[in-house]
Amino acid sequence: MLITTNNITEIVSTISNHVNKEAALISIGEHMEIDVEELIEALNDAKLKFMGGIFPKVIHGNSILDKGIVLNTLNNVEELFLVKDISKKNYTIPQINFDESTPYSIITYVDGLTSNISHYLSGLYENYGMKTNYFGGGAGSLSLEQKPCVFCNEGLFQDAAVVSLVRMQSRIGVRHGWNKVDGPFIITKAEGNIIKEINWKNPFEVYKEVVEAHSNKQFNDDNFFEIAKGYPFGIVKDHAECIVRDPLMVNEKGELVCVGELENNTLVDILNGNQDTLIKAAENAAKESLKFAENPRKAIIIDCISRILFLEDNFDLELNAITTTISNKFPNVSIGGALTLGEISSYGEGFLEFYNKTVVIGLFE
Amino acid sequence: MKIENNILDILPLYEYAMAIGQSLDYKESCDLFLKLILRRKNLNAAWILEKKGEQLVSTYSIPLGQKVTIPLDKQINDFIESIRDNKITEVDRTILKLVPIDIDTGHLVIFNLKEQGYLFLYSKVEKLKAKDVLQLQPVINKFSISLKACKAFKRQQVLLNNLELRNQELSDYAHMVSHDLKSPLRSIDTLTTWLKDDYGDKFDENGNSNIKLIRNNVEKMDTLINGILEYSTIGKNRTEVYDVDTNKLIDDILDIIQIPENITVIKNDLPIIKGDKYRLQQLFQNLIGNAISYNDKDHGSVEIGFSDKNKFWEFYIIDNGKGIDNKYFDKIFKTFEKLENNLESTGIGLSIVKKIVDLYGGKIWLTSKLNEGTTFYFTLKKDYDGTA
Repeated sequence: MLITTNNITEIVSTISNHVNKEAALISIGEHMEIDVEELIEALNDAKLKFMGGIFPKVIHGNSILDKGIVLNTLNNVEELFLVKDISKKNYTIPQINFDESTPYSIITYVDGLTSNISHYLSGLYENYGMKTNYFGGGAGSLSLEQKPCVFCNEGLFQDAAVVSLVRMQSRIGVRHGWNKVDGPFIITKAEGNIIKEINWKNPFEVYKEVVEAHSNKQFNDDNFFEIAKGYPFGIVKDHAECIVRDPLMVNEKGELVCVGELENNTLVDILNGNQDTLIKAAENAAKESLKFAENPRKAIIIDCISRILFLEDNFDLELNAITTTISNKFPNVSIGGALTLGEISSYGEGFLEFYNKTVVIGLFE
Repeated sequence: MKIENNILDILPLYEYAMAIGQSLDYKESCDLFLKLILRRKNLNAAWILEKKGEQLVSTYSIPLGQKVTIPLDKQINDFIESIRDNKITEVDRTILKLVPIDIDTGHLVIFNLKEQGYLFLYSKVEKLKAKDVLQLQPVINKFSISLKACKAFKRQQVLLNNLELRNQELSDYAHMVSHDLKSPLRSIDTLTTWLKDDYGDKFDENGNSNIKLIRNNVEKMDTLINGILEYSTIGKNRTEVYDVDTNKLIDDILDIIQIPENITVIKNDLPIIKGDKYRLQQLFQNLIGNAISYNDKDHGSVEIGFSDKNKFWEFYIIDNGKGIDNKYFDKIFKTFEKLENNLESTGIGLSIVKKIVDLYGGKIWLTSKLNEGTTFYFTLKKDYDGTA
């Protein structure tokens, strides 16, 4: 459901009516002209249970909006909790008793601009393992300025994550559509989201050589992102699609600043994609999620904001490919979501991962 | 093309190998390596079972599972004994007994970690390929060695902690006992003073001599207790460190101690060193005092000097005294050990010297020839920061 009014009372009333006695998953476009803390207070007064995030843009059907609230009902919430101090690794993931015969899904929104997100996801998997599916994305502002962006009944937070565990079957599809240009290279030195060395050399020199040769474009003082948005890194996995890392800028030392962390000695390829490969991948992610879906009630799309920066006006085609694929099989499924700073899910049935430049589609039954 | 493929096969091993040995903590070491394997190979779980007596015990699991203890019956024993290096298998009834997490079906590869047990890598859907297992085997062997190192490190840490605790207890005990002993000693001293003052004229010569003997022994015991107190406080607290001019320090010592006329003390030019004056004075004063006290020559000499040994200062104190037999070289640094029954000696001076040198990260040793003299050498760390 899409809410466009700025009136807090109306928003709360709409949410309350929509979710009834269930919990609410609230995704807010970052330019929505409301005071989120005031909204949280009003939702608490209305005795509603909720969690949410502020994203660069939100998705409703085939529309992409930077003003608006996309609302989903979180049915059968088992636990809803907040994890603070993600960057400091200073938190405890609560213990939960799972019922073996019930399918579970975890939905999590994390501050996409904080550090140590991989550690947080690793902590989730360590505690809950294969007892649940995982789905979510990174909240935050397109300005890349870190500020409070995830919220729940306890308030609005930065450097935090909100998590809901629901007794709900989910089917998840993950694809990106970026293909190898050259590699593998070894990230011989990295610190957080900064690549300091590739193959023991200056990382920009290595990256530049490959990208300029492939793109026939020259890097200058102010076109790094313009070219780099089409040439992400891919963390090499065995027999599976790589995990994409998005280079954002080059600093004065020639180090590459990425969205998402890289660790020392990681093997990466340099990737490239085009409109066709990206849109095809989005469609395949939708198909993958549909493969085992029986009776989905809602589809949540978590799509990386950098894909819209790359595809520009053609992003409509990507979104359309997803919604058409889902609607063709399940015409009554509501489709919403967000354009995020990083995407979260297990890859197939495997370990929990934090992606960039990727589409994650969740069908919830 | 073949070379390129070989390189591509080898490169992931580099990443895996570099994740091994990054930590000496068992769990952290497992986390760093096994979570990487799970991510890169798209696996779901990993755990380690270790043989302890007639049981298999889980020592690590990702995701966290139950701590399991499995009796080694014949079926399980035969199964694990059949794993020479590794085994690719399906989850079956036997396997289900060896699982600390909730699974019912799936695929496994089990690696024999030798003394470190068995590593289970689990995939819910995809079967692990023999090529992947072959690729992993050498890094898993390396991982097994790193687990052994983690355990050895932990044992060492436990021993060290115990040792520190014992040392602390011993030091506290010595401190407490010395303190408690001083009180009755003071009483004896006071009482004998009163006895002498009030009844001195009534005692015969023998009685006065006995009173004197008691007071001498009380004085000796007081010196001994002070020595124990000093010994037990060395290294207890972090000391303040500053520049100490050892030239001036030795001059001050030579002003304090009594130097008989037949002894000549030669002091060479000495350096300015990092340390605290109080401990350094104890160190030099004990050694110089001994060199003077135990000199039996008509023309005795004591020489103090040093040499620069890169990270250390090496000092020496040479005398031409009685000399010390080789067999006593170690014994003399032990508490309460004396080479002769000298009433003035407490037997604790050289123990204090050794403890101060240890505190300064240095060493002490000696060379000696009977009747010709002794040279004590000791080193002190140049960058001493107040901790051992």
